[in-house]
Amino acid sequence: MVISLDLITSVISFLFTLLILSYLIGDNPLFRIAVYIFVGVSSGYVAAVAWWQVIMPRLIYPLVYGSVLERSFIAIPLLGALLILMKIFPRWAGLARIAMAFLVGAGAAVIIAGALIGTLIPQISATINAFDVNSASVRNISVVEVIFNGAFILAGTVFTLIYFHFGASPKADGSMRRLGLIETSAWVGRIFIGITLGTIFAGVFAAALTALIERISALINFFGNF
Amino acid sequence: MPDIIICPSCGENNLPDQEFCQYCQTRLQPLTGPLKGADAPIKPGQVPTKKNTAELEPILPQWLRDARDLARKDDQQAAQENLQQPAQSQPASSAKDLLAGLQSQAGDVKESDLPDWLASITGVISKSTKSQTESSDFRWVELGDKNDFAKDESAELSSDEPQPDEKDEVRDWFRNLGSSEQTQQPEQPESIENSFSGSSASDTPDLLRTIGGQEETANSADSADYSETGLGEPPTGIISESLKSTESATSANELPDWLSSDATIPPSTAVEDEPTAMEDVPFDDIEDESEAAALQSPSYTIFEEKSLEPAQEEHPLGWLDTFQPVSAHQPETPIEQADFTPLDFTEDSQVSDNLDELFIDIPDGLSSASEVPRSSIPTADTDSEVIAPDDLPSWVEAMRPVDHGISQLSSQTLESGGALAGLAGVLPAAAGFAPMSKPNAYSIKSQASEEQQAQAALLEQMLTAETAPVPMASFSVLRTSRRLRWFLTFTIFIMIAIPLFLRTQMFSLPVGIPLAVNGALQVAQSIPEDAPVLVAFDYEPARVGEMEAAAAPMFDQMILLRHPHLTFISTNETGAILVERFISGPLAVHNYQSGIQYLNLGYLPGGQIGIRAFAQNPQITAPFDMSFSAAWDSAPLEGVNSLSQFAALIVVTDNADAARTWIEQTESARGGIPFVVISSAQAAPMIQPYYESQQISGLVSGLYGGALFEQYNAGRPGTARSYWDAFSLGMLLAMALVLGGGLWNFSLGLRDRAAAWEAQ
Repeated sequence: MVISLDLITSVISFLFTLLILSYLIGDNPLFRIAVYIFVGVSSGYVAAVAWWQVIMPRLIYPLVYGSVLERSFIAIPLLGALLILMKIFPRWAGLARIAMAFLVGAGAAVIIAGALIGTLIPQISATINAFDVNSASVRNISVVEVIFNGAFILAGTVFTLIYFHFGASPKADGSMRRLGLIETSAWVGRIFIGITLGTIFAGVFAAALTALIERISALINFFGNF
Repeated sequence: MPDIIICPSCGENNLPDQEFCQYCQTRLQPLTGPLKGADAPIKPGQVPTKKNTAELEPILPQWLRDARDLARKDDQQAAQENLQQPAQSQPASSAKDLLAGLQSQAGDVKESDLPDWLASITGVISKSTKSQTESSDFRWVELGDKNDFAKDESAELSSDEPQPDEKDEVRDWFRNLGSSEQTQQPEQPESIENSFSGSSASDTPDLLRTIGGQEETANSADSADYSETGLGEPPTGIISESLKSTESATSANELPDWLSSDATIPPSTAVEDEPTAMEDVPFDDIEDESEAAALQSPSYTIFEEKSLEPAQEEHPLGWLDTFQPVSAHQPETPIEQADFTPLDFTEDSQVSDNLDELFIDIPDGLSSASEVPRSSIPTADTDSEVIAPDDLPSWVEAMRPVDHGISQLSSQTLESGGALAGLAGVLPAAAGFAPMSKPNAYSIKSQASEEQQAQAALLEQMLTAETAPVPMASFSVLRTSRRLRWFLTFTIFIMIAIPLFLRTQMFSLPVGIPLAVNGALQVAQSIPEDAPVLVAFDYEPARVGEMEAAAAPMFDQMILLRHPHLTFISTNETGAILVERFISGPLAVHNYQSGIQYLNLGYLPGGQIGIRAFAQNPQITAPFDMSFSAAWDSAPLEGVNSLSQFAALIVVTDNADAARTWIEQTESARGGIPFVVISSAQAAPMIQPYYESQQISGLVSGLYGGALFEQYNAGRPGTARSYWDAFSLGMLLAMALVLGGGLWNFSLGLRDRAAAWEAQ
């Protein structure tokens, strides 16, 4: 009797699906077993990936088989890695600050530059260009629709930003309240924020529902194969 | 610092050669060294060596020097009187009277304001010269032991001093006792007091000493013992002689019965038992009887007056010296020659019984002493028999007046240094902390003005408001109902499982195509044939069902139409394995081979930095594929050296941040290549602005996007379609539950408001 790999994986996936679904009755050992196995398998797999896809091809192999130039290039990250390893020893933990400082500095520069170039400026430009009637022909929409879309996007952006303006001035009765215009705009902005969060919630629910459908479908297919 | 002496009084530093403190004049160098050699204590029978201590005269206190001067004058006067009136002093000594020694003390006593009864106890007002033992006196003074004790003891005894009436009573019988002492000289055996003469006599009641000390030799031995101990106690014989006279002279009414019957005890019994009995009798018991008080008062008075007299304390042996010559020069007179009626010591059974009762608590030392045979009892005339101070029984030591005084002073503060060293109770225990005067009385009535009181009240109100608990608005917590949870679970499971199990297609696929999906479709259809396409797989395994359903239609169409060479890379550790699953799963029908049609570069470490590095130089950043082969020499990447050389960039992710990172970090490196994002439904709202800003070419999100794409792909691979009915039912059910829950909550709110309005 030949046991196919698909059958084994189907049985395992079926069992683990039941173990996870047992959380419906609350936290129980079956659910914990499944979680612990997932965590252990994931950790082992990540360690294997780090060794075989990072350390070996990017550090050891260039050091052993690389040219002098490659070895010299590898020496710098190797030194950084050794410095970070010094965190193991409290006395030498300070040496890790050198590599950590380099990583944090480089990471901050990359993130800020990427956010500025890839998000802030393009998004601001897009908001401004929402009223570009010339894009109507490109996007095959009418000018009115372009203006309406642009106005809606602009209003949503402005009102949402106003909602996060918390500056207030004291009133005669001693209470602290924002200006009337800002308060009204914030109220409108709150509607946009609510719609956005509702959309996100709907997306989350749709994603979870799809995952549940996939699992139930797998269970049905598992029984259907027999 | 060994070269500096710290003053024990003021704590200042002094040079080592200084004898007195230069600040407080406290003596720094002790006058006495270790008690060895010349400074060793004088033993009984040893004649003290006279020392020339005149050089120490200046350091004596003024009162002591005055006393010494006065004593010298008295001695000189006494010597002159002795020369002028030899006949008057002769009777006291010629009668072998031990009280003759009191004659020499009479002068001192008189000058020291001793009571009349004591001053005239011998009937002769004569003064005898006292031997000068200044050396020992100086030592005592400087040590601060003897005089200090004497002062304290005198102060303490002064409080216990008998009342004048009692003195008068004692004076009568004691005067009679003095007058009759010459007629009572019964021959007594050697007193047992000689064995513990000095120390025991110090506290031994007078009656005990009266019975025991009869012989002159014993008196002399007692004197020697007193000099040994240095107590300065009067010889026992003095009081014993007096008491013996009292026994014969006083009537039975004046003496207690037990005391009067004592006289009838045979000498042997009385001598051996009486001292012990009397020493065990507490004074309290004796004081209960008026006769006992009368008997005790003279002895106490003697000690008291003696302690109060500085000159006499300076010479503890002085009175012995004046005593001994008299007794020494007197030939031992037979008792029969004495003009007195001897005591008739007859055995009294009642007295014996009383004594037996008194001997219940006989100390061991005394009981053993009483059992010593008479032959072993040392005689007083043997000066060689010396009792060392260390050999004294403990109970004798305890009876010493020194111990008695110290025990009383134990509760007081004992000065350990300075001029008051050795003194107790001189300074208050807490000097400087005791109230020096009565504290001032202050009015407790508030003198604040009305404005101040109003402000204080306002402050108090504010503080009270701050500390008062503020009730917090309680909100009704929505608790998960087990029944509701199981109902929802059962409903959703049924609503999902039935369409999946029946493979129904009740719900049509979405009609129309959004622009974002259309952009992705255009990209899939517009890429060149066999063009290299870079695909980033960045989603979690938990989203595999949704992501595969969303991505499979586009890749299926793309493979079918353009046969692109796919290059997969992932910034997620599990992305590489998900790629293999995707190729072997939804795209299995295309039979794509690794290294030929597709290449899996695996895991790209570094996050955003790694993406940035890969965008700038992909060959260096990801040189190998998952099989550890050179990736950029393989067929899928043939002719590709940079990111912009790919025909398209497709990011499959369930995380908006991952999509944003790829968008941001490849902004400048990807050039004008198409960029399509296939995302989860939960990340689509956050990625949608990038499509609106035309940073990405298309967006396929979730099952909805996959279903749309399947419509333009001839329904392939059909995954979205198979899920669509269940998805649609699930979404309808969710909307119904959300809407129904909202309406239910709204109705509850209206009901509560109506109830509150009615309550108001």
